[in-house]
Amino acid sequence: MPYWYYDKKDLLNTPSFRDGINNDAENRYRKEGARFIIDTGSKMDLGYNTVATGVVYFHRFYMFHSFRTFPRYITACCCLFLAGKVEETPKKCKDIIKVAKSLLTELKFASFGENPKEEVMTLERILLQTIKFDFQVEHPYGYLLKYAKCLKGDKTKLQKMVQMAWTFVNDSLCTTLCLQWEPEVIAVALMFLAGKLSKFEVADWNGRQPKHKVWWDMFVEDITTELLEDICHQVLDLYSPQTQASGNDSPPSVPQPPKNEKKPPSVTPPASVSPVAVTTATKPVVTPIKNGGEVKIEPPKVGITEPIRYTYPFTPIPHYPPVYTAPPPTIPPPPRLPLVPPPMVYPDPPPAPNRFPPVNVPPPNYFTPLPNRGPPPGPPPRPYYPPP
Amino acid sequence: MMSRASTSQSPPVVASINDVSALFQNAQKYEELSLIGTGAYGTVYKARDLHNGGQIVAMKKVKVALTEDGIPLSTVREIALLRQLEAYRHPNIVRLLDVCHGGQCLERDQQLVLFLVFEHVEQDLDSFLSRAPGPLPESRIRSMSHDIISGVDFLHSHRIVHRDLKPHNLLVTAAGRVKLADFGLAKTYDVEMKLTSVVVTLWYRPPEVLLGARYCSALDVWSAGCVLAQLHTRRPLLPGASDSDQLHRIFRLIGRPPRSEWPDNVSIELDSFPSYPPQDLARILPRIHPHALDLIKGMLVFDPSKRLTAMDCLEHPYFTEEPVA
Repeated sequence: MPYWYYDKKDLLNTPSFRDGINNDAENRYRKEGARFIIDTGSKMDLGYNTVATGVVYFHRFYMFHSFRTFPRYITACCCLFLAGKVEETPKKCKDIIKVAKSLLTELKFASFGENPKEEVMTLERILLQTIKFDFQVEHPYGYLLKYAKCLKGDKTKLQKMVQMAWTFVNDSLCTTLCLQWEPEVIAVALMFLAGKLSKFEVADWNGRQPKHKVWWDMFVEDITTELLEDICHQVLDLYSPQTQASGNDSPPSVPQPPKNEKKPPSVTPPASVSPVAVTTATKPVVTPIKNGGEVKIEPPKVGITEPIRYTYPFTPIPHYPPVYTAPPPTIPPPPRLPLVPPPMVYPDPPPAPNRFPPVNVPPPNYFTPLPNRGPPPGPPPRPYYPPP
Repeated sequence: MMSRASTSQSPPVVASINDVSALFQNAQKYEELSLIGTGAYGTVYKARDLHNGGQIVAMKKVKVALTEDGIPLSTVREIALLRQLEAYRHPNIVRLLDVCHGGQCLERDQQLVLFLVFEHVEQDLDSFLSRAPGPLPESRIRSMSHDIISGVDFLHSHRIVHRDLKPHNLLVTAAGRVKLADFGLAKTYDVEMKLTSVVVTLWYRPPEVLLGARYCSALDVWSAGCVLAQLHTRRPLLPGASDSDQLHRIFRLIGRPPRSEWPDNVSIELDSFPSYPPQDLARILPRIHPHALDLIKGMLVFDPSKRLTAMDCLEHPYFTEEPVA
């Protein structure tokens, strides 16, 4: 089965990079494409699962293709179109194109060519092949709600924390986190971040065992503070102007040699900007929210097309409409039909693949080789027919 | 003979969106070796996986009719489900290794050739039984029966009805385990089924399907019951020659059902069949283990709602009184 997680090293050496697009520009294209899927999806009343699935397809697609070959907005449309079919919320291709046209400038929409629908249809076949027909994608949302249900503490604060974490998950779609970590890990990290920012202390949780030092030990093994902070910073970087490259709107059509001498951009910003830089567990992190502790539920939407109005810490938060619906006031059951195994009636349930540590492992062989299987679990094979 | 399918393992740089074929030419991944079989849905080839040490695979070629809006929703849904099932790696389900497509889209009739790549298993139950020199030992019958029903139960617990369970679709591994194949693409197959004249075998069809009544997952239990009986005799239990012959054979075996069980809204009248009395299954399946006989009787019940479910079968004394190998 395909394996979709990448090393940071791989994320710097992408097809686009090899095609002469520097990493900053690529990240900006990824961000714009993801944001465009989110905006188009919200405008068409598509659910967060459909939108997130589309964005994950988008990020996976550009691990195999260059932004120079495939313009980002048409790919984005195609990803959303396919995600709609997979998540049982199908939209007509021509309707998606109509909304896309309304959201894009004339110049950007020009990349759709003379027959936009035909372009999307052709691209769909390339997309299918690229994502290897691996349609089903899990997202952090479900885990976020599942984990939140177990936490004990002040109800109002918990709810604020969950809403904030939910918005962080939305915004994390604009990063390549979904190419680095499983949804469980991202959910833990962004709840950790939201907990710090909203000052929600997790004192206790249901299902706690003596070996659990922190609540997430119950769900994911071996998450280090360094990892959590790395993930948080990748999301927080979205809100800081340093990473905003002021590049061209589209990749140059003539390939330029990649600037190899250029040091890859540092993934973590300087510690001075960081709200979660303190690593010692004893000292609580100073939350840089100044306006009287009034935590806004919606962290700022990442405005790619607008000038950056704030830096992190985002003191004067302009009121943005929610990106798309935050979780309802009371924590609902996970919105998707759970993909958990049914009660096992088989004597020998196959062990679930170890979910962690997932990253930095080269994709394993596609599957284990078939010949030379181990001894049969059943009775010894009986030769019913003479050997050839 | 040496046609090739491809997938984008490491796609080359493509010149333009419209040049789809370029994407696939340098990424050939499977080399067709020989034809395994032709079914109502398409053809299956034995092929070599050029990217995995030349491993032999079974490659099923299915033509998908593209709609106004690209790949049909039903196909997307079914492939997503197959992929999702694969995550469980159930021992009695054939492994799905890869899905890819041929790249070219035949513009005129808007078709996409889909390749489903499965693990290759040397023989199916049909050839296994025909090659067996004598009756199978009781322990082997029991473990094979258990394998089949475990596979069916797994599908049913994921809301999949196989619809076409038969020895041809049951693969027998070198270790003697049985794996179910050929399920989950009912809607995708439908398109092509209407176009082919391949005769679909009737022998494992339950009466509700033959009568054109509503059917549900109990359909597979009937088919599995027929296969289980065949494990004992190595001959098909109900080899009907036509729809009506098949129904006559069924009623001669289990007896004509009472009027109260006859389904509504079917065009065939109960009275068009003689009032066959039920036969003693033990006479057809001599020397059978009494528990096995009871299990098969429970599976070959006319009324689908009174038939055992796959889960009931797994809890039957035939499997629980002694450990299944």
